[in-house]
Amino acid sequence: MTKRWIGALIVALATLGSLVFVQTQDSSETQEPEATNGATTDVVQPIAFPHNVHAGIDRIDCQYCHFSAERSVDAGIPPVRTCIGCHQIIGGTDERQQAEIAKVREYWTNQEPIPWVRIYKVADHVHFPHMRHIAAQVDCAECHGPVQEMGVLAEVNQPLSMGWCVSCHIERDVSRDCSVCHY
Amino acid sequence: MSDGLKRREFLKVLGVSGAGAGMVGCSTESVEKLMPYVVPPEEITPGVATWYASVCGECEAGCGMWVRTREGRVVKVEGNPDHPVSGGALCSRGHSSVQGLYNPDRFTGPMARQNGELQPISWDEAEQRLADGLAAAGQHLTLTGFAGPSMMTLMESFARATGGGVVRFDPLADAPLREAGRIAFGRNVVPWYDIEEAEMLVSFGADFLESWLSPVRDARAFSRMSGVDERGSKGRFVFVGSRLSLTGQNADEWLPIQPGSESLVALAMANVISGAGAGAGPYRDIVNAYTPENVSEATGIPAENIRELAIQFAEGPSLALGPGVAGQHRNATAANLAVAVLNSVAGNVGRTLHYSAPQLNAPAFGYSGVERVMQLIGQGVVGAVMIHGSNPIYALPASSGFRAAFESVPFKVSFASSPDETTALCDLVLPDRHFLESWGDSAVRPGSWAIQQPAMRPVPHFDTRQTGDVLLSVASLMGQDLGAATFHDHLQSRWQTVAASTGTADFEVFWQEALKSGVVELGGSQTGVAEQLRQPDRALVFDPPDFDGPGDLHLMVYPSSRFGHGSQNTNRPWLLELPDPVSKITWHSWVEMHPDRAAAMGLRNGDMVILSTDNGSVELPVWTYPGIRENVVAVPMGGGHEGAGRFSDGNGVNPLDLLPAESEALSGGLVHFATKVTVTPTGERRALATISGSDVQSNRPITPAVALSALTAEADHAEEEDGNGPLQELQGVGGFVPVETEGRPQDFPLEGAQHGEYGDPETPRWAMTIDLDKCTGCSACVTACQSENNVAWVGESQVTMGRDMGWIRLERYYEAVDASHAGPLDVRFMPMICQHCGNAPCEPVCPVYATYHTPDGINTQVYNRCVGTRYCLNNCPYKVRVYNWYTYTDEEPVREGLGHAPEPMNWAFNPDVTVRENGIMEKCSFCIHRIRGAQDRAAVEGSVIQDGEIIPACQQSCPAEAIVFGNIRDTRSRVAQSVESARVYRVLDELINTQPAVSYLKKVTFHDVESGEH
Repeated sequence: MTKRWIGALIVALATLGSLVFVQTQDSSETQEPEATNGATTDVVQPIAFPHNVHAGIDRIDCQYCHFSAERSVDAGIPPVRTCIGCHQIIGGTDERQQAEIAKVREYWTNQEPIPWVRIYKVADHVHFPHMRHIAAQVDCAECHGPVQEMGVLAEVNQPLSMGWCVSCHIERDVSRDCSVCHY
Repeated sequence: MSDGLKRREFLKVLGVSGAGAGMVGCSTESVEKLMPYVVPPEEITPGVATWYASVCGECEAGCGMWVRTREGRVVKVEGNPDHPVSGGALCSRGHSSVQGLYNPDRFTGPMARQNGELQPISWDEAEQRLADGLAAAGQHLTLTGFAGPSMMTLMESFARATGGGVVRFDPLADAPLREAGRIAFGRNVVPWYDIEEAEMLVSFGADFLESWLSPVRDARAFSRMSGVDERGSKGRFVFVGSRLSLTGQNADEWLPIQPGSESLVALAMANVISGAGAGAGPYRDIVNAYTPENVSEATGIPAENIRELAIQFAEGPSLALGPGVAGQHRNATAANLAVAVLNSVAGNVGRTLHYSAPQLNAPAFGYSGVERVMQLIGQGVVGAVMIHGSNPIYALPASSGFRAAFESVPFKVSFASSPDETTALCDLVLPDRHFLESWGDSAVRPGSWAIQQPAMRPVPHFDTRQTGDVLLSVASLMGQDLGAATFHDHLQSRWQTVAASTGTADFEVFWQEALKSGVVELGGSQTGVAEQLRQPDRALVFDPPDFDGPGDLHLMVYPSSRFGHGSQNTNRPWLLELPDPVSKITWHSWVEMHPDRAAAMGLRNGDMVILSTDNGSVELPVWTYPGIRENVVAVPMGGGHEGAGRFSDGNGVNPLDLLPAESEALSGGLVHFATKVTVTPTGERRALATISGSDVQSNRPITPAVALSALTAEADHAEEEDGNGPLQELQGVGGFVPVETEGRPQDFPLEGAQHGEYGDPETPRWAMTIDLDKCTGCSACVTACQSENNVAWVGESQVTMGRDMGWIRLERYYEAVDASHAGPLDVRFMPMICQHCGNAPCEPVCPVYATYHTPDGINTQVYNRCVGTRYCLNNCPYKVRVYNWYTYTDEEPVREGLGHAPEPMNWAFNPDVTVRENGIMEKCSFCIHRIRGAQDRAAVEGSVIQDGEIIPACQQSCPAEAIVFGNIRDTRSRVAQSVESARVYRVLDELINTQPAVSYLKKVTFHDVESGEH
């Protein structure tokens, strides 16, 4: 008789104890915004590059700059030469624009790479092949969001979690096998 | 995230430990930068490898290689399939050259000795100092190891123009072989051996699968000759020698001769074949004097064995190979000559060995060259010595006196790229570039060339210059014009001549094609010339030589399978931790001793002993080995380095210090096998850092073999006889009804498990066969796998604890090894990898589903799920799973002596494969990244994967072509056909019903073995 009570007490305490622990975890989770990729809003890019101007207003194709997306696992970051291709002529209309574009020209003059802060990243233990998804007609915006409406990229506004990836795989009826991404 | 949390919540309630091990998830707390190119190189696509053809510079064999680079960094090297030497394969040393490139102990720039220490100086200053020093020196000498033809000619023209000379020294010079060719046939060359053409091979000690002349070429040829073919014919290999090297372990028969008595056996065989000398031309009288009967006592081999051997040798095309370097004794030239005579009377010259199309650049420049150097130094006429590609202080016995002679030279210069025993004495160091960063060329045979090109910009951590460029620059500082501004120009100008000889009008086109293909075949190699024996022009002694010292234990110092002569390129953890193919010992040295002799001396494995001769003494542990004569002990070269790098220092002993410094009278080669040794137990013991568990199979059918007679008698070998009868698996109706299966790879997945992707007949099923009749035990696959998959090295202390991380393990079992009399030899090699069992014991026991069976048949490991319970390792019957007990991949070791990856060694990581940290299980993945990569490519191109498109790293590297991998559901694939062989079996599967995807083909023996079981 006593044993049963003690047993139940231990289990109850254990449950409560670990629920508290779990609670703490949970609350820290809910304090974060939707994005689980952790990048916070105090990211400062070396140049305030606005995607809404280039991809939005100017309608430059994603793969003009992100050149290796269709043939490689990496999408590629545009080399400085791509930027200077236009900006050796285009100097900007207002002061703020001119200041930023001057920075691009300075990097080119010094033959230095622009040290962009990475925003979109899946974990190192995940293999994400861009070319496979491009070949499957997945639009860039499906994962990266409406980039053509975004100003300077500072945070990730899409889940980019495994569950989110898997749900799309289920929708499109492609492999859900763990080893297609985790190896 | 919420799904994951629920599961862990459940575990926490049960576990009630709750210590802060939180689920951090995929957050990127740290800021990561993305660095673009400024101007992108045309040939680089980020994420896609760029390959360059080049030539390996690890040894003189000159295997063509393909170098894989990612974003401008070398990450792996492989053999060039089009190259006549490598044929796509590469040995462990070749693979480890990546670690040589990224050796953290390389010189950071030129150095000059000031106040006893090497201090950094600038290149301009270094070159000026060299120019001034050479000008002041008057006569100078360059002591060099092997180099490509263009570099050799440049060194020679530099020497001529500036008042010097060039002496080449090969630590493993088979000078006696070359001299024997000269005496026998007037050909002062090392012949080209064509083992594949022979039906019978006899080696008198040459370790052609390890370090002798051209191991990759010979391993391929040997496996084609000796592996049983579809018609059921198999080449025979007999080893005649006092010690079984790895090469010897592959033999079908062993004649354990008394030390130094090879000549007697060879001449006795020649006697039988040539009719008591009648067919031996000028050697008639010599051959006539040696019969199987009268050599029997001196060799320790019964006459009938020698006679039988001779008769078999004469039956068809055959080949005899000489004593090699380990057996190079005081009458070594005579021994090689006896073998040449044997080949001649058997009609082999021009069929299986070719003096007319020799191996160029073979190591044949012996110790006598250095003796001459020391003589000149002693006369005081040498003002400067330059050392290139060589470490003579280590590679020469201490008794040579080279150290004292070298120290007395006023100006000593080295071009070594990393510190070693010789640079420790030098005044000036101008570090050369690694061959992966250098221009060069190689000629393997007349008419067969290759170009060595840099595969990346020089590693930025080290300010190096190619020695060829330095010589040209210094020559101009000394007022001499050598005809080119840079070594690249010099190389191209020499190749203009080669190009012109092909009739090509446009040199640029020719050059680009040569760089792309990596091979230039000009033809004109004249084979098939049956040289005629000539009257010997030297006095010859064929009797076994004298050995120095008291007692009866002969000391054999042999080239290491892992390091060769081991005087350079040992600062590589991949090689240091590669289990020696014979002893399976890593890191430290050992002395091999026959178990009976050890027992008589009261010694066991691990007992420390002191070996001493008149020339020196070393202390090292004993390893008992049945494959060595009872009156011989053997020590491998390559240990005992000082100041050669943080990994190689302090490991083992240098056995060369036990040797007398003597050049063999006729050839000038260093006499390696010349002294007896005393063994004194110290009473101390140490644990051997070995991965070997057991040397015997204990009646378990791990590596069964089949006799050739049994194989050919039963053409249709029913699987029932193997014991692979039908099994019953609970698979039907969701796992409640038994389904009959034979457990073959192609039976997966079983009925009842065919849902979703598992039921799709288009899904491949990856499987592999490994032919044990071809595997030579060389362990090239181990290093290839380590390089490809970022497999960590753990350090000696961890290996001693059994925590080595190799994904492939070469098991070696003795079935018939008897050093007391001649007879059949049976040593079985088995590369043991994850068997990717269809019914894997490791899969159901993982509490977090980190390992499971994929629809395409791979037992995969999801690294991020693994929590490190190690239950899977426990349950695996093949013990192929390895665990990261520490993080072995950081800049600093977690604890002293543990594996780590200091800059720039971490540049060698393959970006396609996850780098694991501590707490994670891993094992062979069938190179799943290559499979997924090929599937990605096929999906993007809209094509179908062909058989042979996916080659795992082990198969790619194997010189013996023993491994076949592919989709077993494709009935036309090589692997599907390979499993239909009569010799196929799966390890232990009928005992434990694991249904492996890896099948093995039984070794075929000439002697009878019990069929079925082992």
